Amino acid sequence: MGNGALRFAPLLLLPLLGSCGKGDWQLSEARKNVVMIEVTAQTWDYRLPWNPGTVSSARGAGFVIDRKRIITNAHVVSGARYLTVQREADPRKYPAKVNFVAHDCDLAMVEVEDPDFYKGTTDLKIGGIPDLESVVSVYGFPIGGDRLSVTRGVVSRIDYNSYTHSGRESHLAIQIDAAINPGNSGGPVMQNDKVVGVAFQGFRGDVAQNVGYMIPTPVIRRFLKDVEDGKYDHYVDIAIRWMALENPAMRKYYHRPNDGLGVVVTDIFSEGSSDGVLEKGDVLLSIDGHPIESDGSVRLDGQPVQLEEIVERKFAGDTVELEVWRNQSVEKKVITLRPAEMFSMYEVLYEEAPRYVLYGGLVFQPMTANLMAGLLGSADLRLRQTYTLFGQDQLYRETPEPVILTSVLPDRSNVYLVGLAGQIVKEINGKRIRTLADVVPALELGGEKTVIHFEGDQRPAVLKKKEVDQVMPRIMAQYGIAETKRTELGDRRLAKGSFKKEGENR
Amino acid sequence: MKWFYLILGCLALPLAIVAEDEDSRGSLVRVRASIQPYDQFRPWQKKSPYGLNGTGVVLPGGKVLATAALVANRTEVGLEKPGSAEKCAAEVEAIDYEANLALLQPTDKNFLKGFSGVVLGPALRAGDKTEVWQLERNGEMLRNQAEILSAGVGRYPSDEAGFLLYGVRVSLPKRDDSYTLPLMKDGQLAGMMMGYDRDSQEGTAIPIPMIEHFLKDAADGKYEGFPTLGVSWSTLRDPNLREEVMAPKSGGLLLTRVNPRGTAGRAGLKEGDVLLSVDGFKLDEDGNYRDSLYGPTAVGNLIRTKPTVGSVARFRISRNGKEMDLTGTYDRKAREEVAIPTLQFDQAPKYLVVGGMVFQELTGVYLQEWGDKWSERAPQRLVEYFTFQQEKRADPGKKVVFLSQVLPSPITLGYQQLSGLVLEKMNGHEINNLAELAKAVDEISSGDIVFEFRDEPGKLILQADGLPAISEKIAKDYGLPALRRL
Repeated sequence: MGNGALRFAPLLLLPLLGSCGKGDWQLSEARKNVVMIEVTAQTWDYRLPWNPGTVSSARGAGFVIDRKRIITNAHVVSGARYLTVQREADPRKYPAKVNFVAHDCDLAMVEVEDPDFYKGTTDLKIGGIPDLESVVSVYGFPIGGDRLSVTRGVVSRIDYNSYTHSGRESHLAIQIDAAINPGNSGGPVMQNDKVVGVAFQGFRGDVAQNVGYMIPTPVIRRFLKDVEDGKYDHYVDIAIRWMALENPAMRKYYHRPNDGLGVVVTDIFSEGSSDGVLEKGDVLLSIDGHPIESDGSVRLDGQPVQLEEIVERKFAGDTVELEVWRNQSVEKKVITLRPAEMFSMYEVLYEEAPRYVLYGGLVFQPMTANLMAGLLGSADLRLRQTYTLFGQDQLYRETPEPVILTSVLPDRSNVYLVGLAGQIVKEINGKRIRTLADVVPALELGGEKTVIHFEGDQRPAVLKKKEVDQVMPRIMAQYGIAETKRTELGDRRLAKGSFKKEGENR
Repeated sequence: MKWFYLILGCLALPLAIVAEDEDSRGSLVRVRASIQPYDQFRPWQKKSPYGLNGTGVVLPGGKVLATAALVANRTEVGLEKPGSAEKCAAEVEAIDYEANLALLQPTDKNFLKGFSGVVLGPALRAGDKTEVWQLERNGEMLRNQAEILSAGVGRYPSDEAGFLLYGVRVSLPKRDDSYTLPLMKDGQLAGMMMGYDRDSQEGTAIPIPMIEHFLKDAADGKYEGFPTLGVSWSTLRDPNLREEVMAPKSGGLLLTRVNPRGTAGRAGLKEGDVLLSVDGFKLDEDGNYRDSLYGPTAVGNLIRTKPTVGSVARFRISRNGKEMDLTGTYDRKAREEVAIPTLQFDQAPKYLVVGGMVFQELTGVYLQEWGDKWSERAPQRLVEYFTFQQEKRADPGKKVVFLSQVLPSPITLGYQQLSGLVLEKMNGHEINNLAELAKAVDEISSGDIVFEFRDEPGKLILQADGLPAISEKIAKDYGLPALRRL
């Protein structure tokens, strides 16, 4: 949880150079099913949210399962406007479409309409978690040439790790020492003709060598199961923080014997799965029957994993059963799992077009990970702190989506407002602003003037409505803006916000 | 063509002149400071010592003027005569870190006998020619021609608001004892150089009005410092904003926050008031008053340099369109009565070690220990409390006590990684400062000590039984000279 510093780089897609020829040999299982994916994608510019963004082309890998569906990384197809796939045995490039994207676990499913494409593919089997030290082969189209490349290495480590693509998620990941380079993304990692992972991220060469990561099959299987109903839901989260119960004085305080079991709940996020069920100070003893060690690990298939792994494999609406030590007795608690909307603030957005409201040259945008990534260096302390402490301090309860005056497009009508860019909007015409959706209705309130108050000790911005109406066409023409606003939420999930009293004033 | 050469010849004149004249002798003295700041991350010890060498100005009474930065965190200050290696220790009689000035007194009254001293000269204006004096190794004076580029309110190294400042253009050669240098005009003191950038050949100097204020304040033996208003304000050029706050036709600035403890707050000024004039000086829409010498000058100079602590403050404001006069007394309460102090130079940081848990009281100096990017690198809760203390920790009696680190020991098992946690309660009692915590801990000899923190993990427990002995052992193992400094 939270937003740690980015330690990994997703395997950058390899910029497109040329294409490759044909081949027709006796092919292995992997070579029958591995595909090269060429993507033309568009990335939004959050500083100019009305622009369609920049277009770039890149190459990644994928593989066909059950002769129909193609699995690849979400970051390969993010923002794709056009993509083609190509198999080793067939030189033709087939246009394809993205059926599902799961940014939280960096997986996506792509499909080709033309049945010719699938000729010669097989029912590729998905295996289990490979043993440490066992040998695996990585297939892909990395830098260094245009044809299929195969590298080989051993399984180095099986552990929780952050999935860089989403910016905030951590799931099980497997570290291998095979060379993984840009262009390997989305390619299958094979062992005994079975898929045991999807290559997805690594370190930059100056940070670490021979460290590559693949998405293991429990995550792949979960993704496949999730999309069975025709849509991808998010990962669910137990939405608590806990602390290892290792200290003898702590154990005594919570009246627990020195049996090396149990962790103590230190925080429960309101609106999360555990809200109203667990309490601070509860000691968690077991989860779905698996005893919880005092360091927070459980045994799963003989392997020690973090207790969250039990939750990881479940879906929205599923339950998890906890044995809880409260008031010196054991209670059974059942938690119905749901995604952790309150942390969606830290998720990098890929598909949704940036939202904004333009008003007399003032540009209002909701706080998002994308926007903050561009602002963090220059943002003032209040803005940065609001972002960093948003989850921890449960700021979403009052403002599920802080609205920022991100820029003031200079015009002779707003020369005195330019210095206010970067402030967090508190109120417009007396109406508390909690999400971007509040902005447009609030601007219509009041009389001839619009008064905007900001957080902290900033002066207010005052605009005359009549004047704004007059200058809008000029500003839009000047800055090449076609629409005054884009406020549809898209797929973005927002915390509901247990708002403080409605209509409360400063 | 000949004319062109002539100009070149003029420019090529040496900028520095080794002076032989009498008036430059007996005016400067070398100041040698041994500096050893406390280690804020290991509050029981000091960092490695180093020396700073500057040039001080001998004043007519035999006292020496230097910058505060030269002697901050000093262990020892010494004076040395320019022409000889004769030395004498000095005491710091008055020091002001905000104004960056210090007054030194030689311990041997006769040490500077025979020094005529330098009198304070007039205030300078942009464009004025001046000199920056340096001492050669042999004691000869090097007089570097300089020019005042600007005179206005700007940032001082250890100040939050702004003071009058000269921008100086000068080409300074590398010489010893140049950490502080005097700015001279016709043999009189014109300012103290406090910053210099070798690449742009521009520097900053503390002007005479600041020095006068400082010396006047120090003369009675009780140094009080420069007053503050305790307000945040915004300019009022925007006609829409003027109309909104019902400002009169021209002039004035908008108060966006008023510290109720400060000079303005106690005089009755409020957030939303339009401040029209201070002590009879009208303020324009940009926050400037018309200075008799400098022309339009930021209000900061008017309220900080002109008055002294204890003098009467007169304000004219417009509130909801009605003009009124308010009177108060200048003071520094807005700066000094705070929960988290900024300027804690020379002061030993407070700490308390309880069974390996190290508690400290938050100061600005502690945060600065995280480096230039302290606001990004320091624990965010501490940054928040410090930066927004006006909003969130306004009560000066409520210091911020926090767990800064944990020295691993058998009883802190599982706590080793914790740091930067603000303490709120101990065994249910609110903790307002480190001394309170020490007292509360001392009073418990058995049972649990429950520390409650602002952030997760929320609670940490230590067993009180045998705690003093364990703490002593930790002090011994880690070589701590003491378990507390309160």
